[in-house]
Amino acid sequence: MNIDEIFDYTSFTIDREPHIVLDYDICTGCDNRGCVNSCPARCYTWSEEEKKMTFVHDGCLECGTCYVVCHRNAFTRWRYPRGGFGVAYRMT
Amino acid sequence: MSKTYQAIVIGAGPAGSSAALVMARAGLDVALVERGSFPGEKNMFGGVLHRMPALEEIFPDFWDRAALGRHIIKKGVTFMTDDSSFSTVIEAGNFDTPPFNGYSIFRPRFDNWLAQEAVKAGATLITRATVDDLVYKDGKIAGVTIVGRQGELRAPVVIAADGVLSFIAKKAGLRQPTFDPSQMAVGVKGLIDMPREMINDRFGLVREQGFANEFVGCTAGVRGGGFLYTNYDSLSIGLVFHLASLRTSGKTPYDLLNTFMEQPQVAKMICGGKLQEYSAHLIPEGGYDMIPELVGDGILVTGDAAALCNATGLNLEGINLASQSGVIAGKAVIEAHQNKDFSKRGLSAYKTLLDESYVIKDLKMSRKAPHMLHNDRIYNEYPELMCSFMESIYRINGAPRENLTKLFLKSAKEKVGLGNMLADGFSAWRAL
Repeated sequence: MNIDEIFDYTSFTIDREPHIVLDYDICTGCDNRGCVNSCPARCYTWSEEEKKMTFVHDGCLECGTCYVVCHRNAFTRWRYPRGGFGVAYRMT
Repeated sequence: MSKTYQAIVIGAGPAGSSAALVMARAGLDVALVERGSFPGEKNMFGGVLHRMPALEEIFPDFWDRAALGRHIIKKGVTFMTDDSSFSTVIEAGNFDTPPFNGYSIFRPRFDNWLAQEAVKAGATLITRATVDDLVYKDGKIAGVTIVGRQGELRAPVVIAADGVLSFIAKKAGLRQPTFDPSQMAVGVKGLIDMPREMINDRFGLVREQGFANEFVGCTAGVRGGGFLYTNYDSLSIGLVFHLASLRTSGKTPYDLLNTFMEQPQVAKMICGGKLQEYSAHLIPEGGYDMIPELVGDGILVTGDAAALCNATGLNLEGINLASQSGVIAGKAVIEAHQNKDFSKRGLSAYKTLLDESYVIKDLKMSRKAPHMLHNDRIYNEYPELMCSFMESIYRINGAPRENLTKLFLKSAKEKVGLGNMLADGFSAWRAL
């Protein structure tokens, strides 16, 4: 399985409005960034060169892993997508 | 949109739909609010649907009526290293006669079926509606606000069945404001399609029989385990990780899943199949000590939202506990309506009945299991010990044989250490 191809496996109805919003300054100062490796959908990427966190909500599986592993509470928003949006499982 | 009901249930999973079903059957006007475009759309699990005492009471023909898959007649545990595995399998004759001990299911089908039963009983199902907040009037819970469909629903009592993160329990001040990663696990799963005949031949099944297997030692040292089970025309394969351990490991769930699927013995089981869906979900694995306040003024917390999940290492139960807690919560709300008392005291029957049920009794009994499972040796050293010991028993190469006890102690000393092994055995015995 190639996580880059998550959209080939799993269906999403993507909301333009992200359901998770980060305060990137907190991520830059974080000594852990467990979200980067723990997120099962690889929504978080950290660039060591640019010292920059990137978050993309499109392929979010809404599992809540980031919400639990983030010990800095870097979220200015963490909620489930609006009704009808987000991941749509068929056969799980 | 604004309408008044006698009760609002947040979340149409096994807990919420069970609660709505019981209340609707008693004649209450119930709203069952679901954020997915249909119930089950957001839900996944990695295992077997066990006996459902709460639903079997409501539907004497539950097993014929529900949307189920294969019945599990064969259960296995595999201790695994990168290139070896040692399995034990139990295939019991009475696993193949009704009432069956467990089924494989698809949550988008099963959860939808259960919600539709609640609708048939008279509940109003509102999909595509994410509950945003609780509404208070004169200091009492008076309803909820929703986003998706915009608006407000009103009721004197709310059942929070909104899943493992339960933002509603948090807003009501019933759960801790943050979670401890050592009390949570994340499961990832791939669904692999495969022709029915191939599954039957490969796993030794006939008719509608199914197989479910658990794996230890397949997580590269991260605390957790693996699972594989058969659906009619597909295999479900996945891993579960304790979050605290995953976070510090630096490893990713999808890389570990790939490594698991490429392990030579696992690769043979899934070869010929194609990945159809990838999913992930959190599991509240803290056990009894993780349970939040279950009752507040005008609110009850059920299912995963109440951390009612029993992970002992041998079995992983959740849906049965969720459904049972939903039914009991529904009964407590019916009683509260009779007495016109929605205070914490008026709803306290929920806690009393739940304490008396197997839900809390089982969780209390395995209270020490989560702690026992936080032992890294289980996930690395013991599987290695099992495999190397079994391998040396069967290796015949002209070298003089050693006595079995000696051989075992030698392996144990080398892989685990005898002191550790005694301590771990004692802790497992106490926990289970």
